[in-house]
Amino acid sequence: MEIFLILGITAFLAIISFFIKNYKTLSLVNVLGHLAVLSIVAKLTADIYGNGASISMFNFFYADPLSIFFMLIIGIINTASIIYSVSYISNDLKENVISSAKANLYYVLFNALALATFLVVVVDNLGMLWIAIELTTLISALLVGFYNKKNSIEAAWKYIIICSVGITIALFGTILFYYAATLTGATSINWTNFIAIATKLDPQILKVAFLFIFVGYGTKAGIVPLHTWLPDAHSQAPTPISMLLSGVLLKTAIYAIIRFAIITNKSVGIQYSSNLFLLFGLLSLGIAAGFILVQKDIKRLLAYSSIEHIGIILIGLGFSGIGIYGALLHTVNHAITKSFMFLGAGNIVKKYKTGNMNIIRGVINLLPFTGTLFILGAFALGGTPPFSIFLSEFTILMAGFQNKSYLTCGLFLFFIAIIFGAIIHHFSKIIFGKEPADSKFRGDEPRLLTVKPEINPEHPNRGEDFFSAGSVSLMFLFIFLIAFGIIVPGFASKILLLTAEVIKQ
Amino acid sequence: MHINIFVVIIILTVFYMATVKRITSLINGFLVQSLFISLYVFSEGVLTKNMELYSVAFILFLLKVIVIPLTLRQLVKNIKADENAGLLISPVISLIFAAILAGFSYEFADKIMPLQGKHLIGAFSISLFITLVGMFLMIFRKKAISQIIGLLVMENGLFLLAAEAAGGLPFFIEITIFFDILVSVMILGVFVYRINSLFTHIDTNKLTRLKG
Repeated sequence: MEIFLILGITAFLAIISFFIKNYKTLSLVNVLGHLAVLSIVAKLTADIYGNGASISMFNFFYADPLSIFFMLIIGIINTASIIYSVSYISNDLKENVISSAKANLYYVLFNALALATFLVVVVDNLGMLWIAIELTTLISALLVGFYNKKNSIEAAWKYIIICSVGITIALFGTILFYYAATLTGATSINWTNFIAIATKLDPQILKVAFLFIFVGYGTKAGIVPLHTWLPDAHSQAPTPISMLLSGVLLKTAIYAIIRFAIITNKSVGIQYSSNLFLLFGLLSLGIAAGFILVQKDIKRLLAYSSIEHIGIILIGLGFSGIGIYGALLHTVNHAITKSFMFLGAGNIVKKYKTGNMNIIRGVINLLPFTGTLFILGAFALGGTPPFSIFLSEFTILMAGFQNKSYLTCGLFLFFIAIIFGAIIHHFSKIIFGKEPADSKFRGDEPRLLTVKPEINPEHPNRGEDFFSAGSVSLMFLFIFLIAFGIIVPGFASKILLLTAEVIKQ
Repeated sequence: MHINIFVVIIILTVFYMATVKRITSLINGFLVQSLFISLYVFSEGVLTKNMELYSVAFILFLLKVIVIPLTLRQLVKNIKADENAGLLISPVISLIFAAILAGFSYEFADKIMPLQGKHLIGAFSISLFITLVGMFLMIFRKKAISQIIGLLVMENGLFLLAAEAAGGLPFFIEITIFFDILVSVMILGVFVYRINSLFTHIDTNKLTRLKG
């Protein structure tokens, strides 16, 4: 029932966003709608983890702890992103970057994307899973190319072409999985059916099929060497969409890989998928480290950091055991921290009108609120305690040492040390450097509430408003960022454990 | 797979598409290929008395023989693209590549996949071959439209695999995938328009503004 409500509300929002002409009403309806969705997801979470059961409807929808776990991430990031969109789009409207019809289109696409991503995690049918992921690619490609500038169209084209090839390979793998099932006499393509007959499936076919799945959905997840579209798309998209791409869409691809890995592990044994995960996880981490070190653009840096964190998640999954717990925790933490950082970066890029880190200086003076949170976020992203990413990286390392994979752990530590240094180096420069004296940076952020910002006569360039939608959204995410930092709260830990159980089965 | 005349023609169209230099020829090759794939699926339906395969063949025909080639032709006309398909390597080398891919597909199906029966090895290797050549077209053709056709060829390979190896995917899924392909061609078409109007060309290897 709740599943219908969630899908229904997002579909309804997508349709109604066509027709509302008044921007204030439009944004209010959307924010309220997504808050409602988030609360329904929260209720569903409480239900499912309360009794540990799973929901199955019409042989089509299926939700177990793993689905709900990803649903929760989607709900949180969507909410943060829609709140931020309010101010982001209204700013664009004010500066005449886009027309009001295009603002409507933005909200329509945003909700269509939300619908598709929710669909990914609640369908039982693996063919439908493929379709939902393909839909997320198509819709988000339109959003990446939203501004119709040369750069964004180029990024969108690369994104849609490379991911379409990837997703086609994934369909090849899905068909092979189905073929393996038909050999045992089964005719259903549902995941629940696969899991029931998993031990009877031919391991040799599954090995090949899983390879196709891994390459296919791995393209969408941004695993090196299939990541080439990712920095372009993530940096060229409007900032709220960058948040979704990094926080949600990469995770849905990981979700699909996990679903297939569960089936494969039952038939082939865990070693096969583990080795794949570890190899490509380390590769992603290493390549990302190099690119982060030499990066000049702030959003591209964050995009490469997403590749790094996908690598870390894969390594956690590869270590298995407690590593899976770590990987899941890291999935949440990365989604929240990265969205948080994109949000901060979006504020900065809007203010300076450039993403070039050689030009951006003195953020702490011009945007004191964003600047403060941004430098905290940088430490969080690098993995310092007491922020949440430290805890999950530590858990993953612990799993590695338990497995006695010292070489992997050593490389892992080496790469994250490089990345930590690079991130702090880049971000301390832009936060604390001497601000540009140019008056073109004057101006304030668009507001959600009707409180006017006071312009400080001594610092006329300073313009930031604690009540802006951007700030609200930043605070919303910051709470989550801190919440998981010192210790994982009891209920969250239970969620993670139950989800890890599903993966280990 | 009973090796019949349809399959032979499908393989010939793949080689044809790998070597042609003009976009129109590429579209025609795709049209003929899709026509024979839908005929093949239809004949499978007759042989196995599977009603669903009839409808799949019909929709395949409607979509990939009529709607999509027409759309692509219209696209070429509207953006006044020149006829060059944008080969990055010469037709002869492309042909050699395609032959290597064919050999690889057969070896892969024969040695690695534990397929039951000779006819499945044939089916699997041909589907894999078509998919790989589709990918080859996407990588070694620089024009945006050629890349769209490459993607469609990849999907043709998948349909053949699904129809042959698994007796067709569940009907509902198959239909939704068709719908999905239609939507993706439309959206790719929109992007080709935009690329053409912003860059005044559709050479994707000249899209090099974003680096590092």
